[in-house]
Amino acid sequence: MFSLYKKELQSFFFSPFAYVLTALFMFIFAVSFIIPIGGMDSNELKFSFPNIFYNNFFYFIFIIPILTMRSFADERRSGTEVLLLSSPLSVTKIVLAKFLAIATVFLFMMVCSLFFPLVAMTKGTIMWSSLICAYLGFLLWGLACISVGMLLSAFTEYPIIAAILGEIVMEGLLFVDRFAGTALVAANPKLNSVITWFSMQRRFVYFSQGMFRLEDLIFFLSVTAVVLCWNIIVIEKRRWSRG
Amino acid sequence: MVEIKHLTRYYGKTAAVRGIDFEIRDNEILGFLGPNGAGKSTTMNMIAGYLPSTDGTVIVDGFDITEQAAEAKRRIGYLPEIPPVYPDMRVEEYLKFVAGIKGIPAKERRAQVESAMERLRITDMRRRLIRNLSKGYKQRVGFAQALLGDPKVLILDEPTVGLDPTQVMEVRQLIRELGRDRSVIFSSHILAEISAVCERVVIINKGKIRAVDTIEHLESSMSASTVLNLTCEAGKDKVLRLLSDIRGVVKVSDVREGEGRVSCKVELAEEKVRSEIMSVLLRNECNISEMSMDKLSLEEVFAKITAQSDAPGGLQDLLDETPEVPEEAPADEAAGSNGKEGA
Repeated sequence: MFSLYKKELQSFFFSPFAYVLTALFMFIFAVSFIIPIGGMDSNELKFSFPNIFYNNFFYFIFIIPILTMRSFADERRSGTEVLLLSSPLSVTKIVLAKFLAIATVFLFMMVCSLFFPLVAMTKGTIMWSSLICAYLGFLLWGLACISVGMLLSAFTEYPIIAAILGEIVMEGLLFVDRFAGTALVAANPKLNSVITWFSMQRRFVYFSQGMFRLEDLIFFLSVTAVVLCWNIIVIEKRRWSRG
Repeated sequence: MVEIKHLTRYYGKTAAVRGIDFEIRDNEILGFLGPNGAGKSTTMNMIAGYLPSTDGTVIVDGFDITEQAAEAKRRIGYLPEIPPVYPDMRVEEYLKFVAGIKGIPAKERRAQVESAMERLRITDMRRRLIRNLSKGYKQRVGFAQALLGDPKVLILDEPTVGLDPTQVMEVRQLIRELGRDRSVIFSSHILAEISAVCERVVIINKGKIRAVDTIEHLESSMSASTVLNLTCEAGKDKVLRLLSDIRGVVKVSDVREGEGRVSCKVELAEEKVRSEIMSVLLRNECNISEMSMDKLSLEEVFAKITAQSDAPGGLQDLLDETPEVPEEAPADEAAGSNGKEGA
């Protein structure tokens, strides 16, 4: 399993792939870092890092499907799926190794983005508790999205289709929050509470306020686990239906 | 070493492989022969554990491929039709990766990779990106991958397709070498290749086994229908009339006439009919100027076996577990008379 993990990591880092994506991530971060600083009024010299994440989910979610699009689609396309499935590795291990590799790349991107708080620290004070919590929340959110992206990649042979499907689904996940806020849903409290329960953004808000709730941790981890299991089932099922 | 029992595979409602049985013995090279689309690759994929079977089992060295998958797969080296290589990896890096996922202990990996590269003569290419290799070299890298872990069973799906003649010879030589201390099953639609390397052959068509036999036995059992090349000095009609009266003459074909001679090919049911033909012709004042025997070549045997059920079966026939299509009957008989040794 470690060999597969290593190979997946190499496929990101021995190619421009991981670096280009990290650059994109940093760029989005940089822009959203500068804008609030530029817009600060002299009475209140503060701004929030968690807000950067929160306000830019829309952009950040574009990165994750690109990260995950190749995971299974490419294997299928190049015929290397046979190699993995006829090796003694179980499907569970294959899925886990790929997931961990992508999670590592994601973690790498986040570590790179720590550059901005560090710069800010030289000229001001940082509320570390809130920052760490926001990073943790963002990481958990990322893991859940990675598992969804991988699942979509397992559905198709074309990485680009996996990416586009990924964008659509991520968009849908973001929309859950807005949807809960519509008059129609808001009028029905029960429905509203069910839908908001699934809202990832709402849960992220708690993290961004420096509040670590076990409930949210379990939510993100269980979404990730359930989707990964689904992923395993999809791959097993495809073995039955294809030739 | 490998037992294949009643292996069946459906794609949707279409049967690709229908209840095949055979075995691969210890240290033998088994040829798996069939025309394109006969179910060769599907069968290979099932033996290698890539595709699950709809029905039936594959038992590798005592381990069931579905129930004890990891143990069974550890004993198999598989080279699929398209070599499963990552274009972005270097040869050595790729082989090390495969050694890793095959669960070869880290200490032994280097040595195994080295020996596999040496065997396939790709040591010079170790630093090259697989993407930049020619088809032949990619095939070799795929082959080297199958050898890692020193598997007891090698499954090679059309290993010589797309190689140049020298490479084909090399691969055949390699298969012969490897076959000394392990079981090899390799598929091909080229008969000459199978007969050059294998001791035993399984012939498959339309998802069913048509024959399981040794090459020599197959040749001799099929050569019951001997073909006689006959040229004699007489009129065409007379010769044809005389021949058709003789019992044991199956078919007269390829009749050519000219310069007072008739030449034709006469298919005989038995070899001894030949002397009868001779005496009948001589008695009726037809001088025989040439008479020679042709044994059916393996190519023809193959064509014959695979053509035996070529009547276009409808979907219903495919669905039927025991199709009662009259055309099916001779095929089954042929498979039976050739001795289902391995079945």
